[in-house]
Amino acid sequence: MAVSLDGLGKKFRLTHDRNWTLKATMLAGHRTRYEEFWALRDLSLEVEHGQTFGIIGGNGSGKSTLLKVLAGILRPDEGTAAVDGRLSALLELGAGFHPELTGRENVYLNGAILGFTAREIRRRFDEIVGFAELDRFIDEPVRNYSSGMYVRLGFSVAIHVEPEVLLVDEVLAVGDLTFQKRCLERFAQLKAEGRTIIVVSHDLDMVGWLCDRTAWIQQGALQAVGPSSEVIDRFAIGADLTATAGDTGDGGRPAFERLSLDDLVKSVALVDPNGHPTDAVGSGRQVSIRVRYDGQAAGEPVIVALGLYRADGTHVASINSGATTSGVARSNRAPDEKAAGELVEVDYVVPALPVQPGTYELSVALHDASMRRVLERHTHILRFEVSPTGIDPQNGLVALGGTWEAR
Amino acid sequence: MLDRLVGRLQVDLLVNLTLRDLRSKYKRSALGWTWSVLNPLVAVVVYSAVFSVFLRIQPTTGDPSGLRSYAVFLLVTLLPWQFHVTSLTEATRSITANGPLITKIWFPRWVLPTSAVLARFLTLLVEMAVLLVLIAVLEGHFAFAWIPVVLTLMALQLLFTVGLALMVSAANVYFRDVQHFLGVALAPWMFLTPILYPLNMVPEDREFLGISYRTLYQLNPMVSWAKAYRNALYDLRFPSAERWLAIVMATVVVLAVGLRVFRRLEPRMAEEV
Repeated sequence: MAVSLDGLGKKFRLTHDRNWTLKATMLAGHRTRYEEFWALRDLSLEVEHGQTFGIIGGNGSGKSTLLKVLAGILRPDEGTAAVDGRLSALLELGAGFHPELTGRENVYLNGAILGFTAREIRRRFDEIVGFAELDRFIDEPVRNYSSGMYVRLGFSVAIHVEPEVLLVDEVLAVGDLTFQKRCLERFAQLKAEGRTIIVVSHDLDMVGWLCDRTAWIQQGALQAVGPSSEVIDRFAIGADLTATAGDTGDGGRPAFERLSLDDLVKSVALVDPNGHPTDAVGSGRQVSIRVRYDGQAAGEPVIVALGLYRADGTHVASINSGATTSGVARSNRAPDEKAAGELVEVDYVVPALPVQPGTYELSVALHDASMRRVLERHTHILRFEVSPTGIDPQNGLVALGGTWEAR
Repeated sequence: MLDRLVGRLQVDLLVNLTLRDLRSKYKRSALGWTWSVLNPLVAVVVYSAVFSVFLRIQPTTGDPSGLRSYAVFLLVTLLPWQFHVTSLTEATRSITANGPLITKIWFPRWVLPTSAVLARFLTLLVEMAVLLVLIAVLEGHFAFAWIPVVLTLMALQLLFTVGLALMVSAANVYFRDVQHFLGVALAPWMFLTPILYPLNMVPEDREFLGISYRTLYQLNPMVSWAKAYRNALYDLRFPSAERWLAIVMATVVVLAVGLRVFRRLEPRMAEEV
């Protein structure tokens, strides 16, 4: 195995008031107060030699922490992480560069930091400079480099170390398209040479194209591991390994983030004007967002808040039932549903959905009546498509829904 | 075999980081390396004026060299002392200043403070060579035969400083007070080392808690180095066995403690830096 993780755990201390000074530590006593936060917990994983392995997951899922543990930058607090073979980590390109030194001097410096000997660098120097396309500027101080030149040189050094195991963190998001393409070609070449590559990325297409196998990590725990296409599909629809086909919530659509039985919110769904659940809606058409929650378990009047986001994370709108809270809660509760433990159903009716076609995500939160306390929050719980209705093609974020009139 | 390979790699890393420090030091300054000559030059002029002319401190007569020159008396200890000060100051910040590097790439962290000291050590070598030539030309004082002794003293001082640098640089990651503390401590430390005046001016007949001032004073390991440098380069005499013993012991203890402290504090550096 090129990489084997066994029960790996890494915790961080969240000090609310970081003691930067000796005096503060003395005054606070030996123990400073901090919260422990497990960025990774009980992670077991194996990557075979010669495999290209992807790691995907949302922001803050622990992907980068995992790479840093593999790279030896962070020490695990539990379990073990073993890497077999010479390792090179591309966590940040050109991290070791000194702005006042020339490109040439920095190649040797960066190479030494990555574990090269001077002789090894001398042998590959022309290749490194050639790949970075910096022949004319190699004796200029790197402070005069453009950010693209800087990154190209950093990438070129790291990629020529000839690692047996290469760790890559999101570095392909840099450089122009031509350079990105050449980077991918270089990865393919390394792959063909039988080297092990571990890629962390948000770019699911790239992971799918490059990686044989992929692991999906969420909140520091392994959600799924297997052939890339399968894992990526699972990640995209948000169902985890243990979810069964029928487990899609109460009449709603497959949940993007799964609700558990203990949650107050029982389902979130889109409902068409006829009252039928739907997973697609036309731009400018009527749609309702139906939230069901356990009114008795909440134990108090609840304000329902909704957040609408585009798939790229752009915040489109947030709405809450605060202004009309009593009205909403009461009017939507059918008289016969008042019995203990019954569900409260709330609809937010949008007469004409004013957004452009695309993929959208919905967040739901329940607040107490004062809006000061969040009872429960589900971010990106529902993902749905807004389809073009073709009446008036527009670009941008919102569908204005206007009409042209000649005068 | 593998160990030797790893050792070799770190030599390359040390050399490269040392070169980085040296090359980048005077980049974009008009006078460049002249500054590193100017610094001891100004110091020797000011200290000579204040201590030799105003305060009338008499240098000892070199035994057996017979030399009597305050400037030479001062310089043979001042240059090693300035190495001590600047290398510690630079080493203290070496890890915290390289935070981005520490959090992005793994490499043995001890090379950072060590290369900071090494870069300054190379400057000291040049300064000492220039000093030997200058005193030969200007004072007719030939100390060239003592070069092996001086090199041994310098090598031991290098190890001693690396030991201290490992301690303070690692501690500074966790408590930034260390760099400020060092700034405060180095000035009195200089005055408590026989650099500006001869050791025999420290009273032997006055006591504190039953121990003479002179004995207390000599608990400072830098006293031994100052004395030994002066023996070799001013008196032209082999330093006494006690001096050598004190120097070797101080070096071994400080280096051992430094390595231990560094190893203890190293694992969480990337999180704390």
